[in-house]
Amino acid sequence: MIDTISILNEIKQAPYKEITISAPHSGRIEFAVDQIGTRVKGASGTWFERPGTLLARLVREGNPKPVYAPENGEVVKFHDVNDREFVQAGTPLMTIRHFLTKQEVMDIILKKALHLFNAPEKGRYYFVAEIDAKIKSQGLRSVSVKEGDEVLILSRMKRETTIPYHGPQGIIYTSYFNSNESVEMGAPLFGVCPEDQVKDIKAVIDKIQSGWEEQE
Amino acid sequence: MDKVRIVRHPQRVCLKDILENVYDNYTEIGGQGEYSIDPSMIIARAYITRNVGKKTYKQPVMVIGQEKGHGEEFRNGGSVKPWGNAKALEYMKVAETENIPIHSYIFTPGSYPVEDYPGAAQQIARNIYAMAGIKVPVVAVISEGGSGGAEAIGLADTRIMLSHGYYSVISPEGAAAIEGRSSASRKASGKLVENCARQLKITARDNLEMGYVDRIVQEPPLGARPDHFEFYRKLRQEVILATDEIILSIRGVKLFRAIALRKLNNPKIYVRWSLSTKSKERLVWRRYQKYRGLSRWAFEDSSTGFQRFKNFALETGWSIYSFLRYEFFGRHQRAITHLAEDVQGEVHALMDRVTHRFSSLFKKLPGVKKDREDVCQLTTLSTWEAGMSWNEHCRYVSPQANQDKTLTCPNSRKSNCLDLWAPDLFGDFAGVCSHCGHHFPMEYEWYLFNIFDSRSIREFNAPIEASNPLEFDGLTHKLDKAKKQTGHKSACMTFEAKIKGIQVVVAMLLARFRGGSVGAAEGEKFIRAAEQARRKHMPFLAYVHGTAGIRIQEGTNGLLQMPRCTLSVRRYLESGGLYLVVYDTNSYAGPLASFLGCSPYQFAIRSANIGFAGPGVIRETTGLDIPPNYHKSFQALSRGHIQGIWDRREIRNNLHHALMTMGGEFLYYR
Amino acid sequence: MKKHKVLIANRGEIAIRILRACQDLGQDFVCVYTREDAQSEHCTEALKHGGEDSLYRISSYQDPNEIFAVADHSQATAVHPGYGFFAEDFRFARRVVQRSRKLEFIGPSWKIIQDLGDKINTKRLARQLNVPTIPGSDRPIFDDLEAEEVARSLFNFQIEQGIEQPVILVKASAGGGGMGIEEVNDPDRFRNVLRKVKNYARRQFRDEGVLIEQRIFDFNHLEVQILADSHGNVVHFGTRNCTVQSTGRQKRIEVAPGFDPSAVSYAFDAGKVLNDVIEYSVHMAQNVGYNSIGTWEWIVSPTGKPFLMEVNTRIQVENGVSAIIARIEDMEVDLIREQIRIGLGEKMDFDQGSIKFEGVGIEYRILAEDPGNAFTPWVGRIEKFSWPEHPWLRMHTHIPRDRVYDIPTEFDPNLALGIVWGKNLKEAQKRGLTFLNQLTLQGRNNMGENLKSNISYLKEKTDSLLVF
Repeated sequence: MIDTISILNEIKQAPYKEITISAPHSGRIEFAVDQIGTRVKGASGTWFERPGTLLARLVREGNPKPVYAPENGEVVKFHDVNDREFVQAGTPLMTIRHFLTKQEVMDIILKKALHLFNAPEKGRYYFVAEIDAKIKSQGLRSVSVKEGDEVLILSRMKRETTIPYHGPQGIIYTSYFNSNESVEMGAPLFGVCPEDQVKDIKAVIDKIQSGWEEQE
Repeated sequence: MDKVRIVRHPQRVCLKDILENVYDNYTEIGGQGEYSIDPSMIIARAYITRNVGKKTYKQPVMVIGQEKGHGEEFRNGGSVKPWGNAKALEYMKVAETENIPIHSYIFTPGSYPVEDYPGAAQQIARNIYAMAGIKVPVVAVISEGGSGGAEAIGLADTRIMLSHGYYSVISPEGAAAIEGRSSASRKASGKLVENCARQLKITARDNLEMGYVDRIVQEPPLGARPDHFEFYRKLRQEVILATDEIILSIRGVKLFRAIALRKLNNPKIYVRWSLSTKSKERLVWRRYQKYRGLSRWAFEDSSTGFQRFKNFALETGWSIYSFLRYEFFGRHQRAITHLAEDVQGEVHALMDRVTHRFSSLFKKLPGVKKDREDVCQLTTLSTWEAGMSWNEHCRYVSPQANQDKTLTCPNSRKSNCLDLWAPDLFGDFAGVCSHCGHHFPMEYEWYLFNIFDSRSIREFNAPIEASNPLEFDGLTHKLDKAKKQTGHKSACMTFEAKIKGIQVVVAMLLARFRGGSVGAAEGEKFIRAAEQARRKHMPFLAYVHGTAGIRIQEGTNGLLQMPRCTLSVRRYLESGGLYLVVYDTNSYAGPLASFLGCSPYQFAIRSANIGFAGPGVIRETTGLDIPPNYHKSFQALSRGHIQGIWDRREIRNNLHHALMTMGGEFLYYR
Repeated sequence: MKKHKVLIANRGEIAIRILRACQDLGQDFVCVYTREDAQSEHCTEALKHGGEDSLYRISSYQDPNEIFAVADHSQATAVHPGYGFFAEDFRFARRVVQRSRKLEFIGPSWKIIQDLGDKINTKRLARQLNVPTIPGSDRPIFDDLEAEEVARSLFNFQIEQGIEQPVILVKASAGGGGMGIEEVNDPDRFRNVLRKVKNYARRQFRDEGVLIEQRIFDFNHLEVQILADSHGNVVHFGTRNCTVQSTGRQKRIEVAPGFDPSAVSYAFDAGKVLNDVIEYSVHMAQNVGYNSIGTWEWIVSPTGKPFLMEVNTRIQVENGVSAIIARIEDMEVDLIREQIRIGLGEKMDFDQGSIKFEGVGIEYRILAEDPGNAFTPWVGRIEKFSWPEHPWLRMHTHIPRDRVYDIPTEFDPNLALGIVWGKNLKEAQKRGLTFLNQLTLQGRNNMGENLKSNISYLKEKTDSLLVF
């Protein structure tokens, strides 16, 4: 059993992730944001059609290309680049501190706490019919799996193969894939939680739900 | 603005009230409260009883109209969805089959601008096109006539307007929103709305003066309410009279009774409401002429008297020539050609058999010249006629290509497109991203040089000039600016040109001139182009470089171009023409919902956005959030609104191919 | 010579060779690299010889905008495209000379790149000058009947030539790189194949035109190295034979000269063929106003008939094998150096008469690949790479020898070029084998498997070089 409490405490020590914004290509940089502490916003809208805060423009061959903030957060550092200076591709420009949302915290904890079953190959995945029916009627957490169970169908190049489960016995706690999208090799498909730990995990989740304060 | 408040008052009469009180009995078709394909559109078979002498006649009519209800949510305020309009069209056709008149009641602020099949714009276009040729009398009564929604059932032989109603190209709020876009505030102020409403001349009296409605029915001072029975009586009288009049005006022996009717104003005279075949034709012709004559004062024609005379002479000449060439000679020639083809086929078959026997012998003869030549061409230079090369027409260099800068393809994130250098992109690639195929906008001149054969373009009707018929604030100035900027006098350029030798008449809407908006001048030029194509027996191409819709500052003068142009397109098509529409950039609203959308052959360049209302308007009117790709040409194709998507680099070939494959021997240019 | 700063828009060993040539000419240079390529020796060399300001990181070698951004910022005055990337991109060459801050393009003028980059155009130019080309059509054919006519006469033509089983190729005229090519060996099947190719071409290239050509079997691949300046001088640096190729027509061994009648016997007059192809190539270069280094590629049929295939308007990988057998005033030649001089507007300071040829050169391309398994590239870490120096050996590589090196997967998999010289074919072959035997190339991938290289394949092929 992973000590979720200490993970949570660890996250609480630094409830954010730092994102470094680098120059996507060469050019002359013109900062649009120049104050440490500036709040920035990531892309928004139903289809993320509204871009995030304009951080800078990178001018190359008469083409000023906007650099937008990828997530909500706060500018915490400017790297050693002067405004209107030529930068090479990949030069770090600034660092944004993005405060984790409840969902992100839960994902981090779950990914650490659960046993992740990863995609052995690139392709589309489905649950096998029995499991799928059970999930549909009783929900995800009703399904228990053990080593060797055939849980998934991999569909690739119009051929279907069943994928047996490897790992500790437990219930399927979350699933990370969508059956109409292809999953990259090695990406997590679902997370399994041993039955005796379900309670603990639930407690943690509840705690996050009620106790985590999202910071802007 | 008071008028608008009156017509939108929940207590105002609605169609149900009228059905109850104006008609003697009715059956609602396909609807019961909220259970209907679209509760904002009501169809009813109704009848009017008339006692003449001792006899009682029941005169059936098809009643079609928007239902606002008295504050019922599901009626959607009379904003009809595309499928509601489709149902209306279906029953107009039923009325045509049953040979009974149509009474349409317009109670709509505008159509519901969703693109789901059959599509707001495309369905309205279908309705207008059908009404342009429907062979039964149509009487329209307008209470709230907003834009395309009104036109969807409003192309009538007689239009009656309620005295407190409004009839307008756009709701005053909408106009104010568009007008106010230049100023900083996003929400248009009340004063601006008021101002717009006044300037757009949307009242019954204004429209009567401009000739867009035929009659006004007086309402009580604060507008008709459900219990104003006197009003119903008046309305009943008016619709009967209007129907009678239409019928009488097209009957063979109309004279005596029409006079009697008007002099005595006696509704007791019975007029049968069904029509004979001959009268039906007269009805449609009369309708065409009625609309053809409207709004002719709303543009300027700066051509001289001599030019006009010359044009007239030419037109007459062409009519006579076409008659002789296609009607008289053409018919006989076709018969002869068919005979000749049959004979030729027979001869061929016979000759084949004969020559075959000899050819084997022939080939053995030494040094047959033809074969020698072939061998030479395998190792030496062959001749390659200039005509086969792709550089056959003169080069046009886009001004966009004369800049040393690069552009970012909007798909670069998804498709990893590299930035494109402007001279490459606009000079060599026709404005198409060489990586993902994204189409950047190109100015219309590019098309003139790259679609049509070089030096084949002959513009006509250039002196027809867009003007400001309502003296709307600032429009004159804006038009002057556009005229100076583009060198054109209106947003519609009409010309004759050749595509790989095929003569076509083209009407082109220029996005650069006030967004390609259509007003009275543009409509007139479009109609004249369609007439020219008909007269000269040529295919007709509407090249929509871009259109933002009807020019709202012209009010109903602009709106009327929807039925006017559609009527002329219908006339052209029915006399056997091939009408192609090609959309290029943004093509929205009125024109799409009428004379463009009614074409059976609509194609889009990949860069096109096609729809009824832009994303902003949709969000405002429906509250729906629409995805950014909602109006993209591929969406329009999958909704069935257009018939194909072309790559800009291929447009000349595609157009030629389309003309060749769709133009059989029954088409004009043959 | 005016002082220039040359931006080297390339990577790997060619970047190093260009850099050295610039130094040799006393010109400044600027190098570029990408994230994946940071460990390449061309970066080390650039920093060593040019300092901090001579190396720029860019997002991609394929993005011209990056090249120009760096060129402007570093105040470069000329661009050398190397081979691959922008070397035969006439739009790039045009932009170099037409943008507002103009640069020198070290290569032919863009119009020539455009004209000779179009295979049909090249074929027609050749035919205009009576240079032999592959029998068949020399313009795109759109009409089915015409296509059948050409196909029929092409079959007849081959039968007349005594070819027992004639085969023709139907190619999409807009295609390239082996796409949209089908074979026909039965005249009755032609119509079918034609349809297929036309459909493919319409879908893929939006152009239905096809070319119909004879298929030539068992040919040898010869090249003529041309050098021309902007003042009308054209010389050649002899021929090369590039017949040893992997699947997918990738060259593996090049030999100069193209044939060696003194050591190998041929079924035709090999010396005459070499003279002919040289003469044709020079003639054509003069006529098109060629003004840089370039290669005329030929195929020679088993009966000794040469046909012009295409013209490469760039420096080639294998230029060194021609250089190693050429002497001007007893000095070894550097063709890249000459290319740069000419590209910067200089006149050629020698003529054909002063170029002497001596001995035989062999170039080996050393790659991490599995010749036994369709030449599949091997990816992993190179741990040891070394060879003893010899006076007859020229080694070109961007692989560091003082540290391990992960082979980047983004680029073509060449590791090194080993060029050996001998006074005759025998000696060259012997030295070649010595070189390959002494070469150490070891590595491991992340599955722990040993590096696979083509060294044994190269050894195997050495014996039969220049045998037709």
